Amino acid sequence: MNKKISKYIIPLLFIAPVFLIYTIFLIVPLIITAYYSLNEWNGVSEEIFIGFMNYKKLFANSDYWITFFNTMQLTAISLIIQIGFGLLIAYLLYNKTKGARFFRTVYFLPVVIAPVAIGLMFSLFYNSEIGFFNKILSAIGLKMLQTSWLSNPRTVLYAVMAPQVWQYIGLYVTIFLGALQTVPTELIESAQIDGAGKARTFFQVILSQIRGFINICVILCLTGSLKSFDHSWIITNGGPGVRSAYLGVFMYKMTFINSDFGMGSTITITIVAISLLITALFNNFSVTEERGRRGINA
Amino acid sequence: MSKLSKIVLAFIMVAVLCFCSVACVSSKDSSSSSDASQSTDKSASPASQRKVSLSLATNWGEGDSKFAYFQPKFEEFANANADSMEIQLITYSTEDYKTKIRTQTASGDLPDAFTFWGGPLMKNMVDAGLLLDVDEYFKDSTTVKKDDFDPSSFGYYTAADGKVYGIPIESTRGVFLVNTEIFKKYNLQFPTTYDDLKNVSKVLNENGIIPIAMASNGGQPAEFFFSEIYVQFSGAEEELDKLPSSKKFNTQNALKVAQIIEDMIANNMFPEDTVANGGWGPCLQLYTDQKAAMTYTYPWMFEFIPENIQEISEIIPLPKMPGADIEPSTIMTGFTIYGFLINKASYTDPVKHDAVLKLCDFLASDDLSLSLTNSGMVPAKKIDYGMSKQKLIYQKMMKYAEGKKLVQVHYTKMPTQDSLNMLDTSLDELFIKALSPQEFVDKVQATLE
Repeated sequence: MNKKISKYIIPLLFIAPVFLIYTIFLIVPLIITAYYSLNEWNGVSEEIFIGFMNYKKLFANSDYWITFFNTMQLTAISLIIQIGFGLLIAYLLYNKTKGARFFRTVYFLPVVIAPVAIGLMFSLFYNSEIGFFNKILSAIGLKMLQTSWLSNPRTVLYAVMAPQVWQYIGLYVTIFLGALQTVPTELIESAQIDGAGKARTFFQVILSQIRGFINICVILCLTGSLKSFDHSWIITNGGPGVRSAYLGVFMYKMTFINSDFGMGSTITITIVAISLLITALFNNFSVTEERGRRGINA
Repeated sequence: MSKLSKIVLAFIMVAVLCFCSVACVSSKDSSSSSDASQSTDKSASPASQRKVSLSLATNWGEGDSKFAYFQPKFEEFANANADSMEIQLITYSTEDYKTKIRTQTASGDLPDAFTFWGGPLMKNMVDAGLLLDVDEYFKDSTTVKKDDFDPSSFGYYTAADGKVYGIPIESTRGVFLVNTEIFKKYNLQFPTTYDDLKNVSKVLNENGIIPIAMASNGGQPAEFFFSEIYVQFSGAEEELDKLPSSKKFNTQNALKVAQIIEDMIANNMFPEDTVANGGWGPCLQLYTDQKAAMTYTYPWMFEFIPENIQEISEIIPLPKMPGADIEPSTIMTGFTIYGFLINKASYTDPVKHDAVLKLCDFLASDDLSLSLTNSGMVPAKKIDYGMSKQKLIYQKMMKYAEGKKLVQVHYTKMPTQDSLNMLDTSLDELFIKALSPQEFVDKVQATLE
């Protein structure tokens, strides 16, 4: 027993700092938030324990479901566009397109700009009187597509999503470019020698080699979308109503505008639960698929 | 590396990390006066013996219409009292400021004195016992007395327990401005009825002019426009007065007003893009850029109206709405809109008491109020501020206000913060036709039940 303890003591001591930080700054606040979600609390007076009443109220609140579905839409669109375009652009750059270095910088540039700046910029672009977008549409003869982007209930959510989705494509380009560079060239060459075309090589050789990176990017994209806040807040404050709000914005409004810390904590717990569920489902899917693939190849 | 060295190294790393975490978490006494304000240090000697650190928060920072008139006076006061106090001035833009104060309230870090709104916005602080009953301040002050103010101006800061928790600084009036040159250009008469307004709007629209610069972003300025129409109806004023206790928003009058706004939108009386043009600034800018012929605004925006626009602007009553019983020319929305609150713990702290008292005397002083009137502010205090020195538009407003019955607005009367927020966000949705009038009143009412 002593031998077992002494075997693990050094690894435990080295893990301890990270574990301590993780516990203090993540686990403890999460537990405290879960506690507050069971209380009615305006952040100032004493908390009143109300059990799961906040959850009951929240799930009966139509605004919550609007923001939930807004967030799900953002997640789905981000996955398709950010991962899809990120991979496509990275592959083009990987194939030594002319000016690849220049394009690599250009694609990554939006990622380093503050979301606040991007949001402010786009809120001006969307202005129907002086905005850039309507003027461009008019100039190219598409005046019928002009609209009040932020005042039209059909377009406001997508108008708010667009800059966020666009901004982070560059991040995935960079990750996938690095991933593609880890693919052994011999594999690609031998596939080509065996008669595989570019598309087949990409889908059946390259993609399977960078599967791990794709999984990481999907998790990043999922978790990033689920905690979105900046663009929605800067461009429209989540409005009109909650039509362009995400769960993070709804939580912020409840907590810091309505001073309902109990309800805000409840929303936070639902965000955590959704994130864990989606991540667990995705991991399960990846593992199952990996096992299936290994079963086929065995 | 030997096993023992590894163990020692690991222990050292953990110890350093723990030390750093504790150092980061612990607060610094010298820079946080609010921490000191929460504790009553009975052993401390009176403030006269040492410099007291105070924090003063306000939204009168850069970008605000009052900044140029507040800042020099504050600096003068701070320099004159530099021997006895060190004042940290905290400023944020209006909406961020509200959030900042709420957050500081929750963290137990309320400034020693701070400008803030009354009514539903101060309710949580009152309920938590954080604010000083201002009668205590008036008792102690040798330079400021309650009689220096119009008695009705304290209504906004009177809580449900009947006590007053804020000192009013700013009164205000709602004004409906018309650009006389645009009206002259198109041979139009100022509208006095809703039908007149529809006819005028038709002509203006045909000529590419927005009839009324009115929109809604976060409920601004639509919420006040809503109230301005509301008080034209019989019983509306009483409904507003009783609103804090009755908690009944979804009255027939409220529904009528929502329907009128819906009809105004259908008749293209407002800009198409009500989100981008919403907010006090963007709305007024449409008017000052002469893209709109009329607008509804308040004196805190007068600083942003150029002189040439002030000259060609006229204040007229809002046209009488369909079904309205009250003559708009006899009424005007007028109410206390702003003041300052005193942190009770700071005021009752023997170390800070004298300094906080002096700071409050400054905030409630004639001198500061006089300076702030230059921004277009109507002072809540009874002072002689020389009408001829005020902006032209201000003079027009006060002339127009003569003999008018002043009425309240929903902003000061909504019972709770979240019902006020719901009114604001629902107005945004009403303006983009995402809610019907009935849905609008029901949605706001739901937060009151």
